Amino acid sequence: MADFTSLSIARRRDAVMQELRRLLPRHEGLRQALPFGTAALDSHLPEGGLACGALHEVVPQTEGAIASAFGFIAAILSRLSQAYPLIFVRPVYGLRQYGRLSGHGLNGLGLDPRRLILVETSHRKETLWAVAEALRSGVPSAVVGLIDKLDLKTSQKLHLAAGDCGLPLFLLRPAPTLEASAAATRWRVGPAPAARDRFGLYARPRWHLQLERCRNGRPGEWVMEYDHVAHRFSLAAALADPAFSRRAGDHSFRQACRS
Amino acid sequence: MAGAGGPRTAALNEAAADMGLVAGESLSDARAKTDMLQVRDVDTTADDTALRRLALWATRYTPTASPWGEDDGADGFFLDIEGSAHLFGGEESLIADLAARLQHFGLPARLAVADTPGAAWALSRFHRAPLFVLPAGRQAAALADMPIEALRLSGETRTALRRLGFKTVGALIDKPRAPFAARFAAELLRRLDQALGRVDEPLVPVVAPPVYHSLQYLLDPVVTQEAVVARARRLMQNLVHVLVRDDVGARALRLCLYRVDGAVETIAIGLTAPTRSAAHVARLLDLKLAALAALDDAGFGFEAIGLAVTRAEPMPARQIEFGTADPAFGSEDSSRAERCAALIDALRQRLGPHRVRRFAPVASHLPERAEALPPVDGEACSPSCSASWPAPEQAHPLLLLPHAEPADDVTALVPDGPPRRFCWRGSTYDIAAAQGPQRIGAEWWRNHKPHCEVAPTRDYYLVEDLGGRRFWLYREGLYGRETAAARWFVHGLFA
Repeated sequence: MADFTSLSIARRRDAVMQELRRLLPRHEGLRQALPFGTAALDSHLPEGGLACGALHEVVPQTEGAIASAFGFIAAILSRLSQAYPLIFVRPVYGLRQYGRLSGHGLNGLGLDPRRLILVETSHRKETLWAVAEALRSGVPSAVVGLIDKLDLKTSQKLHLAAGDCGLPLFLLRPAPTLEASAAATRWRVGPAPAARDRFGLYARPRWHLQLERCRNGRPGEWVMEYDHVAHRFSLAAALADPAFSRRAGDHSFRQACRS
Repeated sequence: MAGAGGPRTAALNEAAADMGLVAGESLSDARAKTDMLQVRDVDTTADDTALRRLALWATRYTPTASPWGEDDGADGFFLDIEGSAHLFGGEESLIADLAARLQHFGLPARLAVADTPGAAWALSRFHRAPLFVLPAGRQAAALADMPIEALRLSGETRTALRRLGFKTVGALIDKPRAPFAARFAAELLRRLDQALGRVDEPLVPVVAPPVYHSLQYLLDPVVTQEAVVARARRLMQNLVHVLVRDDVGARALRLCLYRVDGAVETIAIGLTAPTRSAAHVARLLDLKLAALAALDDAGFGFEAIGLAVTRAEPMPARQIEFGTADPAFGSEDSSRAERCAALIDALRQRLGPHRVRRFAPVASHLPERAEALPPVDGEACSPSCSASWPAPEQAHPLLLLPHAEPADDVTALVPDGPPRRFCWRGSTYDIAAAQGPQRIGAEWWRNHKPHCEVAPTRDYYLVEDLGGRRFWLYREGLYGRETAAARWFVHGLFA
């Protein structure tokens, strides 16, 4: 009892988690995870990846970074099972300012656009209904929704609905201020200078990912790149701009100190 | 009703008929007969609408109800009651029931049942009794002493016949046909043959006749949505036996709700894949009714509910396996495909049929034309069977702006070189790297007018600013050849 160091708390938590896992095998069965396939992220997340059957929020860093947020979601979706469709629910007014999702662009990110079923709704109530309906059917590999406002209670409902069917639910939240939510993770995505081949041509997109909140885990920050041919995430290797890499390193160093 | 020599009366109510007025006389004559005349203008569109509504209501007796057109007088409708009369205890009791209900609406009616529409029309107009059933095969005898107006002939033919001394239909029946054919329009013999049943007369139904149909009359009118859905579910269960017998499933259904006061609500639903499941149909109807709020003005309730399968498609019976599902036979996949179709149906009923879409490639180089978003059809759940998506040739933006937006203050080192800096939506972006150009010419083969200017060529650049934001810019017009001062546009955003 004397030494409540962080190490002992962590050990105790591990013991409790092990006990819970033993007691709740059903719970364990549902909690499959979608690994990113790179140790830096997967070891940071409590489930070893994004939890299936949970709500994940993706937020663009700035208003103009919505394309990066979409790209991040499309990259995760392209790693899912190919056999089943994906449902994307969005209000008709949702993306008006930034145009529409392009099938050729999705194809360029390695996601077959024919798997995607687009559902257009005219207001938020319909969006929530369509998301819940798609989850309840258990048909798609994943459900993506575009929702601007979401209160805590609704997010809890959606999180439970996703947990009941074991499907991952991604919500894109193009909102400047975010309310408290029951999401398992919240990612803030911004663009980063792209990976280029030796001729200086655009090769792979890179994103600046901030894991803002993570249930049973710690926040973090990475610069990741995505290979659309191999469907693989990896840490951005030698960053082109040394200033940028130092900045990103600073952040993660500070965060490590805090936790 | 306007006509030669001033306005004429078109229709009269009972009181006017009692005063000795006749429909078709001039208005001044009518005013001379009585000084209490109230006159309204004829509104043929409203009459048509009302007649159609009434015919729609009459589909509670039989699916085929056909309102009369202009040459039938446009004041009634035909019902094809063959095969449905026994449900009401015979033809006499059917028309008695119909007449009683019409009387209830305040519509005194004259009804007649005969083998042919022509004979029924004639009997309803010229027979003494308001309700009359003609025994089978007696048209010639019944029509013989009727005036020639009973044949639905045009005005000229009628006058010509009268002038020649033909007063009754009997005078025309069994006369040599050749002189009539030579002297009159084909109409005369056609109408005669139709009335006597020698030629078929096709009826134009007010709604498309269903393939399968099930109808229930309720002792107590229902008002609530739950009750309606429960009744519809039972009706679908009745239909399932017939559907199974014919190896088909329903692709489109129509629910008709007959209100006590004579109005009819029709709700049509379409399905992604043929189905025979009553539970599925009931759920879709529930969603559709909730979306339409159709039951908000149920009035005194619905007294009859009909469910019709308007489109059926083959649906072969499937082997149901015992025990665990074997993945080798794809039963998991097929049940998932079924659930997928059910999900798409549900979304389409609640949100509208054009709200559920998918991407389809279009063979075009212009980015704004290169893909379409058609509504999802039946093969939504098996993407592998449709044609594959074309392989990417060039980098393509993830978000395409609805219209290319002009970029201001674009700086480039040379007029036809890549941009170095641009301003878009009020902020300036310094470009760290630009890749291009990718040249896309206008589609001159779509230009139908030969002298019209072809749209200028576009040079697309993938540019990345210092912060890592990636844009798709294009310069419109080839410098020096098509334009002297090229304009720049932002067309898309990369991930």
